[in-house]
Amino acid sequence: MKELQDLARRLLLEGRVDIVIGYQQGPRGVRPSFVTRPEQADALIFDERCVHNLVTYLSPRRAHLAAWPRRAVVVKGCDTRAVAVLLRESHIDREDIVLIGLRCGGVHRSAEASGPLTAESVAFRCADCSIREPELVDHLLGDPRPAPPGNSRLAERIGQLESMSHEQRREFWNNEFSRCIRCHACRQVCPMCYCERCIADKTRPRWIESSAHLRGNTAWNMIRAMHLAGRCVGCGECGRACPVGIPLGLLNRKLAMVVDEHFDYRATDDPEVPGPLGSFRSDDAEEFIV
Amino acid sequence: MSNQAPSAARGPSADNATFEPRIVAFVCNWCTYTGADLAGTSRIQMASNVRILRLPCTGRIDPLFVMKAFERGADGIIVSGCHPGDCHYIVGNFHARRRFRVFRELLDFLGVDPERITFSWVSASEGGKWAQVVNDTTRRIREMGPMESWPRASTALDDDLHG
Amino acid sequence: MARIGVFVCHCGENIARTVDCARVAEALADHPGVEFSTDYKYMCSDPGQSLIKQSMKEHRLDGVVVASCSPHMHEKTFRKAVSAAGLNPFKCEMTNIREHCSWIHEDRAAATEKSTDLVRATVERVKYNQALSPITIPITPRALVIGGGIAGIQAALDIADAGREVVLVEKEPSIGGHMSQLSETFPTMDCSQCILTPRMVDVAQHPRITLHSFSEVDAVDGYIGNFDITIRKKARRVDEDLCNSCGACMQACPTRKIPSEFDAGLGTRTSIYVPFPQAVPNVPVIDEPNCLYLKSLARRRKSKKPARSRKPVCQRCVKACGPKAIDFQQEDRLVTEKVGAIVVATGYRLYDIGREQDEPGISGYGEYGYGKVPDVIDGLQFERLMSASGPTGGELRRPSDGKVPRHVVFLQCIGSRDPAKGMEYCSGICCMYTAKHVLLFKHKVHNGRATVFYMDIRAAGKGYDPFTRQAMEEPGVQYLRGRASELYRDGDVVRVLGVDTLSQEAVDIKADLVVLATAIRPQKGIQDLTRKLSVSVDHHGFMNEAHPKLRPVETATAGVFLAGACQAPRDIPDTVAMASAASSKVLALLSRDELEREPQVALVDTANCSGCFHCERACHYGAIEHEEIKDGQGRLIRVVARVNPGVCQGCGSCVAACLSNCIELQGYTDDQIFASIQAI
Repeated sequence: MKELQDLARRLLLEGRVDIVIGYQQGPRGVRPSFVTRPEQADALIFDERCVHNLVTYLSPRRAHLAAWPRRAVVVKGCDTRAVAVLLRESHIDREDIVLIGLRCGGVHRSAEASGPLTAESVAFRCADCSIREPELVDHLLGDPRPAPPGNSRLAERIGQLESMSHEQRREFWNNEFSRCIRCHACRQVCPMCYCERCIADKTRPRWIESSAHLRGNTAWNMIRAMHLAGRCVGCGECGRACPVGIPLGLLNRKLAMVVDEHFDYRATDDPEVPGPLGSFRSDDAEEFIV
Repeated sequence: MSNQAPSAARGPSADNATFEPRIVAFVCNWCTYTGADLAGTSRIQMASNVRILRLPCTGRIDPLFVMKAFERGADGIIVSGCHPGDCHYIVGNFHARRRFRVFRELLDFLGVDPERITFSWVSASEGGKWAQVVNDTTRRIREMGPMESWPRASTALDDDLHG
Repeated sequence: MARIGVFVCHCGENIARTVDCARVAEALADHPGVEFSTDYKYMCSDPGQSLIKQSMKEHRLDGVVVASCSPHMHEKTFRKAVSAAGLNPFKCEMTNIREHCSWIHEDRAAATEKSTDLVRATVERVKYNQALSPITIPITPRALVIGGGIAGIQAALDIADAGREVVLVEKEPSIGGHMSQLSETFPTMDCSQCILTPRMVDVAQHPRITLHSFSEVDAVDGYIGNFDITIRKKARRVDEDLCNSCGACMQACPTRKIPSEFDAGLGTRTSIYVPFPQAVPNVPVIDEPNCLYLKSLARRRKSKKPARSRKPVCQRCVKACGPKAIDFQQEDRLVTEKVGAIVVATGYRLYDIGREQDEPGISGYGEYGYGKVPDVIDGLQFERLMSASGPTGGELRRPSDGKVPRHVVFLQCIGSRDPAKGMEYCSGICCMYTAKHVLLFKHKVHNGRATVFYMDIRAAGKGYDPFTRQAMEEPGVQYLRGRASELYRDGDVVRVLGVDTLSQEAVDIKADLVVLATAIRPQKGIQDLTRKLSVSVDHHGFMNEAHPKLRPVETATAGVFLAGACQAPRDIPDTVAMASAASSKVLALLSRDELEREPQVALVDTANCSGCFHCERACHYGAIEHEEIKDGQGRLIRVVARVNPGVCQGCGSCVAACLSNCIELQGYTDDQIFASIQAI
């Protein structure tokens, strides 16, 4: 903890960055911390409750952070893949940011959890994660960690859904999407949702109806999944942020499996790897085309 | 059609023999549209269920179009363009091929039978193939029955939706 | 509220037979925004167009929908009519109810209903049509011609003679190309160099042609009318301005045994050389890997030891050169040229049948002994043996022992029309040049025998068939339909084993010389150039024309044109015709100060662009540029996409790639498409 606080203090004192974005203890569990003065650095912590993907605060869409353009951010191994996408999509300059990598052995699904990490409490994305040390970082801190416990149930649930009939699946999603209140928390929390004007807010024409009923909700969740195909890094923040508990992670994971199977693409921490949509191979399989 | 009340034949209870599916085709200007022109000049008879919307290239076809067409009552969709390597814009169809691969899988996962979408390559010289695509799709969609699972826009040309 | 006019055409009986046009017009009359709706027998006729114009005035229409045939047929007609009546032509749209409806359906009710649907969708779309004006782009009135063979020479001269400047780039030390290597040309048998050399000289002396020989195109930037070309002038090591072409350097050069490229490896040259006596420019070039002095420099650099002696190695050419033109210090130089149009005339190469192949799908013809048996040669080598300027001074003497061959076997289609081992296409010119070879051989060796193995004789050009017939009917000439299976050296003859498929008999010929008509392939490294030009190639590497019938010399990249064998195997008359066609296209383009283009291009909504550049990755044409948005103090706020309308081809791939739909393709905007989907 001390090395993290010391580093944050130094970065601010030396003027290398304007802000250090990390984690701190909040009234209920861990919450994001925005440290702009060296003396605040002592609040920074890092433990198994630090589930948030703070890379979302690197997005230029975060207008409230505009006053602090040079940012340091605490990242886990999984989070750096979001940095890679933002770099690939010309959204951040590597020079402007400092990545403080923390060795990670998995986090709880909830920032308010307590106790040791168990197969039940571990976040979905951690279960099959093999990245103990983040890549792409400027500083690597923390002690080596063991692999997280448990295994992901996402793939299992996707398998269950896929074994259903189309009607059953439709019913399942109708049930989920009809609960959507269009608060757009999924979008706000997503590091990839950086559009100046989201397609859901476009009014001429209004492709996606804005009121919270099944038709617009279906359109919104479907198009959002489409926009994240080949870009989503699987941090699961959308699902965590959803106040009505729509399993958005299932959709994103499904499309991640699709781009892996068909375009041999997996979320990566290498910003040079082109995204699977926007690139192509002239011999891509086309058995679905007549 | 859309600003009239749905006819009895389109109701959910309609049996498949009297069900006339509504199919929207998004086609590229250079190959498939011209291929469909050729089918016309060659007087090749085909099902009258398909309404063609012309776009410059399959690369312009956004999944939003398909989504909106389903919302507006389409029972089936055709997306068709130039064969690989023949795209008027060189690579537009390669982009479309990837985009629709993902979109089909997504629809399937959301419980929409991807067989409701035909993706085809029809060149300017394949009038016969176009007729076959139209007939095959119509027959298939007729067998599948009306698209009931999609939440439909119920009202007529709602200007408020477009404003 | 919109004031749209709907005009339903009967097309005589063509539409009216199956579509109740009056009912379609009636149904639309009540549609919101439709001010006037009618039907008429022939909308495209003069009275029909007058009806449209008249109604536009009477009803003050601000949009026109013509329901008739395919827009590919009459869109221009009706837009022109609408424009003549004072409305922007892009406010007019067509609905195709003939090809897409009346001609393909018999059920009148269904066809009428479908027509009504289609027209309604178009009406809804037209409500969102915007007035568009053609885009104008300034034009640099100069052309670049890549390749100085007969195609490039013809194109350069045509363009320059018409008064425009030309930059001609040739990668070899001299222009002339393959045609300069030929002895005679079919079917008229004129001497190739006699007709080519004057044109080469014309190029050299033309005040409006800048020739960059021994140069290659390094980079191509920009777009139609405004290309920036970077040309790499390779180090010739002889100053072109100082050299007086006396040839003393070549006399002095001690390295004399280098196989001559011009003589297809049959003759020799020095290491400072002019490829052939009529070369343009007639300035020698120093062949770096073979020059004794340059080799010694390279050795010294490699060993890093101090020079043993200060005495320079060789450099006899330097001593021999009166005007001191030789400059060993010369290095590659990059020059830039601005041009408005580009003609690609990179020509062909012959299929290298014996040696290692550069493509996995091609396995070569090792069984023909090419490269191993000295008396098995290819067509170009035969040309050199027959040429008065060739290594034998025009006497036919075979490579192995210099004897005059009495029996020559010609094998056609080597590598052509052979999908298993070579190329599946026909190389087009081999039937003709083999017939020419036969006649030339018979002319030089009167009592000689010639045997030709052929698959079919394809001689479709003007005067071509009588020419091949003449060769076939020459005494001592035998055309055998079939292929040879094996060639091998047997004492001082080459045994040719084959089969005559017409008589079904095996043939075994003792030949003195075998000539292989090898396939025509695109130039090596063509893909590198086509990438720079954003021009596509077919899977053989031949460059793709924009349309195989209607735009044969254009490419999909605006401002880039094709001439000659870079597009497909071509003989000289076709090549020259194509070159002149390409230059007429170039001249049409360069005849104006500004280029007018269709306004169907993409436009970025800068206010909402988030600068992710998904569009850039989707654009095949490189039309997306980065635009910096700055505040009042000149500080950079963000970088957004901008479409260069000169480069954009209007495909809309960028629009579909944009996650927030803040690029619009004019003429196919989201509003228009949305409206038609809503209505259909």
